[in-house]
Amino acid sequence: MSYARSMKPLFYIILLNAVGAALISISGGARSPEALVLTGAICVVSIICYTVVSFAGFGDPYLFLIISMLGSVGGIMQLRIRTAYGVRQLKWFLLGTACYFLAMLIFLAMRKILPRLTPLYVGVSVALYAATLVFGRTSHGSRNWIVIGGDNGLSIQPSELIRIFFVLTLAAIFTAQPDKNSKKKKKADGDKPFGLRPNAARLLSASAVTAVNLGFLLLQREWGIALLFFATYFFFIYVYGASRGYLLLNAAAAVGVGAVSLKYMGHIQTRVEAWLNPFADASGKGYQITQSLFAIGEGGFVGRGIGEGSVYFIPEVHSDFIFSAICEEMGILGGFAIVMLYFVLTYRGFKIALACTNRFNKAVAFGLSLMLGLQSFIIIGGVTKMIPLTGITLPFISYGGSSMLTTFAAYGILQAISALKEETTDEL
Amino acid sequence: MNSNKKIVVTLVFMCALFFSVFIYLTYFQLFKADDLVSSNYNRRLWEKEESVLRGSILDRGGLVLAESEVENGSQKRVYPYGSLYAHVIGYNTRSYGKTNLELSFNDYLLKTESLTEIIQYGMDMGTENGELKRGCDLITTIDHDLMRTAASAMNGRNGAVVAIVPSTGEVVCLYSGPSFDPNEDELVKNWADLSEDENSPFLPRATKGLYAPGSTFKIAVAAAALENGYDDFTVDDEGSVKIDGRVFRNAGGSEYGEIGLREGFKHSSNVFFSRLGVELGAETLKKAAEDFMITKKIPFDIETSASAWSYGSDMGKTELASVGIGQGKLLTTPLNMAVVAAAVANDGIMMKPYLVQSVVSPNGVSVYEAEPEAFGRVAPAVVTDALGDYMLACVESGTGVNARIRGIDVAGKTGTAQNEREGRDHAWFVGFAPKDDPQIAVAVFQEYSGSSGGAACAPIARKIMQQWLEG
Repeated sequence: MSYARSMKPLFYIILLNAVGAALISISGGARSPEALVLTGAICVVSIICYTVVSFAGFGDPYLFLIISMLGSVGGIMQLRIRTAYGVRQLKWFLLGTACYFLAMLIFLAMRKILPRLTPLYVGVSVALYAATLVFGRTSHGSRNWIVIGGDNGLSIQPSELIRIFFVLTLAAIFTAQPDKNSKKKKKADGDKPFGLRPNAARLLSASAVTAVNLGFLLLQREWGIALLFFATYFFFIYVYGASRGYLLLNAAAAVGVGAVSLKYMGHIQTRVEAWLNPFADASGKGYQITQSLFAIGEGGFVGRGIGEGSVYFIPEVHSDFIFSAICEEMGILGGFAIVMLYFVLTYRGFKIALACTNRFNKAVAFGLSLMLGLQSFIIIGGVTKMIPLTGITLPFISYGGSSMLTTFAAYGILQAISALKEETTDEL
Repeated sequence: MNSNKKIVVTLVFMCALFFSVFIYLTYFQLFKADDLVSSNYNRRLWEKEESVLRGSILDRGGLVLAESEVENGSQKRVYPYGSLYAHVIGYNTRSYGKTNLELSFNDYLLKTESLTEIIQYGMDMGTENGELKRGCDLITTIDHDLMRTAASAMNGRNGAVVAIVPSTGEVVCLYSGPSFDPNEDELVKNWADLSEDENSPFLPRATKGLYAPGSTFKIAVAAAALENGYDDFTVDDEGSVKIDGRVFRNAGGSEYGEIGLREGFKHSSNVFFSRLGVELGAETLKKAAEDFMITKKIPFDIETSASAWSYGSDMGKTELASVGIGQGKLLTTPLNMAVVAAAVANDGIMMKPYLVQSVVSPNGVSVYEAEPEAFGRVAPAVVTDALGDYMLACVESGTGVNARIRGIDVAGKTGTAQNEREGRDHAWFVGFAPKDDPQIAVAVFQEYSGSSGGAACAPIARKIMQQWLEG
C-alpha cells in the first residue's frame, strides 16, 4: 500500500473535524479561536503520528487512526456542549498523544523486567486506593477523586490509572515462568502454599488480587469499574486455564455479591429500579436514564444535527452520557459508527494479542483490548438502558483528563506490543 | 496454542456484545422511541413553548377568550371565562396535553412571525429587553354574547347550542354542556372527579356527541321526497300505523286525517314519514343522508365525530320506517344538524363550518385567513325553497311555535328522539331566520331532556336567533 493511499483515513479525520467545527460555529456554539486552533492541531498531530508510526515501524498503524477519529468526535461533542469543556478536552487529547508515545517507549524499554514486577503493580494500586479513600472527594455517590492543590486544583481519578496496573498484574501472574529459578523463588516467598499445582496457584493469586481490587472499588462505590475489573478477570481466568467449575464458582460469587448489594445497598437498588422501570420515578431516580432515552429517541436514525439537539437536558451529558448526546445529534446511525470504531479498535487489539508470541505481552494486549472494549460496551449499554447503568467513562469521548491520559497510555502499550510482534523473545 | 483459541472465543463474545447494541438500538428506535418521546417528562416537547409567549385566542369582536401570562418565569394559560369555552378552545396543560383549538392551531399559536416578515426584518426581530417573542393570535368566529346567552338559556342542562352563518359557514356559537374549568390549576385539582362524573363533562357534545336526530331528520327525508317526485304523496293519518308488525305512533297520539308532505312535515307526523320512508326505499334514504353529510365526518377546525349510518344496502320495512322518522341506527352531532339547517337556508349549498376567522402575527400581519368553502349542493334550490316553506309553517302553526319571533319569519323543525332511556327523549330544534334572507342557522339539542323539542329547545333557538338578528 502506497503512503498516499494509506493516507486516506487521515482525510476522513480532517473532514470530520472541519465539518464538525463548521457546524458548531453555525449553530452558535464554540466560536472561540482557541477551539478552532486546537481542532486544527488534532488534525496535524494525527497526520504526524500516523506518519511516524507508519515509517518508524511502530507496528499497527490503525490504532492511532481509530483513536484520532474517536477523539475528534469527542472534541466536537465537548465543544458543542460547552466551549470550555471542548478546549480542555482537546488539550487533553494532545497531551494524551504524548502519553501514548511515552507509554510505548517505556514499555519497549522495560519489557524485559515488566513481567516480574507484580508486587510493584499491586503495591502501587493499593497505595492509590488508599490515597483515594483518605484524601478522596466524593462525586455523584462515588469517592473516586483526589484533588491536588485546593478547590480549583488538579483533580485526578486514580481508578482510571489502576485499570492499567490491574491488567499488568493479571498478565504477570498468569505468565509467570514456571522454570526452576522462579519456582524456587516462589517457594521462598511462600507464594505457592499447600503444594498446589502451578496453575491453581496462579488462579488463586489472580482471584486474590482481583478480590482486593474489587474490595477497594466497592468501598469507593465505583460499581462501573468494579464490574469492568470483574469481567476482565473472568475472561482472563477463562483464557488461562481455569476449569469450568472454577468459572462457575466465580460467576456464582459475582451473582452472590450482586444479590447481597441489591438487598442491602440503597444506591444499587435505585440503579436496578431505574433500569427496570425508569418511568416509575421519571423525575427522580429514573431522571437520568429517561432523559437519555428521550435524547436517543428524538435523534431517530439520522439525528437532529450537530448543535441542533437539546442535549443539555441530559444530566452528566459531557461525561457518562455523551453517547446519548451523539445519538440525539447524529442519530443511532452515528452511534453505530462510534460502536463500530470501538469494535474495530478492540478487534485490532485482539489481533495484536493473537499475533504476539511473547506470553506476557500477549496477555497484556489481550487484557487491555478486552478491558477497553468492555468499558465502551458497559457505558453504551448503560445509557441506552440495555443493561443497568453504572457510571464509567466512554474512552476518548467522555470529558475527563484522567480517563483520556490513561486510556491513551493503555493503547500506547498496545502499540508497543504490536511493534514487538516479530520479535520472538523468550521461551514459550 | 490453547490460549489463542480461547482469545478468539472471547473476541467472538465481544463481537456479539457490540452487535447486540446495534440490534437493541434499532429495535428501540423502530418500536419504542415514538411512544417514549411523547412522554410529558420529555422536556424537548415543551422547549419551544417555553421560548414563545403563546398567542391569545379572541372572539369575533376581539374579546380575549384565552391568553398566556408569564408568572415567576414560566407561562400560565388563562381562560377568563372558565368552563364556557372548554369545548371550543380546549386547554393547554403540561399534565394533560392540549385539546380543541389549543391543539389544532398549536403551531400558529407558537409561530412568532410570518414568512414575509422574516424576509423583511430578518429573524431576530421583536426580542428586545430579553422579552419572550409572542406567538400569533387566533381570531375566532365565535360571538361571546351568543355563547353567554346559550349558556344561560340551557341553564345547566346537558346538551349543545350551535349557530352558523349560512352563507359563509362561520360558527358564531358552539356551546356544549356540561363543561369544566380548563385553567390548569383547576383541571389538576378536579381531574379525577371530572373523569368519573357520569354526566361526562369532558364530552364536547356539540362536535363529538352522537345522537339520533329524531324528527329533525325529516328535513332530509322531505328533501328526498321532493327530489324524487313524491310531492303528491298522501297518507290517511289515524294517529298510528302498523308496518310489518311494528306500530309507529304520532307524538301525543294526534290524528291528522288525509295529509300531504307539507302537513305531515309541519305536524311532524310519524305516521306520514314512516310510510314515506318505506315508499322511498333504502337507496334514496341513504342518498338523502349522504347529501346532508349525516353519514360522514364534518371537517372542522376542531375534532368532530363522524355521524353514523349503520345500515347495509338491504333494509327491512320497519328499518325504513324508523329511518323515515329519524330513529334507528342513525346517529349525528348537533354541529352536523346545524350545518343541515344552514344548507337549507343557503339555497341548498352546504358551506364548510369554521371556527377560526384569521390568524394574526404580533405585528398585525395576517398569516391565515379562512375562506368560505362549499361542500357542495345538498338539493336543488326549488327543493330547499319548498323545505323553507314547510319549516316556516312548522314554526308558524306546527310543532315549532315556541321559536316564533314577532316580525321575523322563522323556519324550523323540532325533533324528539327516543333513546335507550325510556321516557327521557332527546330534544332537538333546528332552524334559521329570516326565512327569505337567512342570517343565522341554529341547532339546539338537549340530552335526555324528557321533553319535546318544541317545548325544550325551540325557545332557546328563538333567543339565539333573535339576539343575533338584533345585534
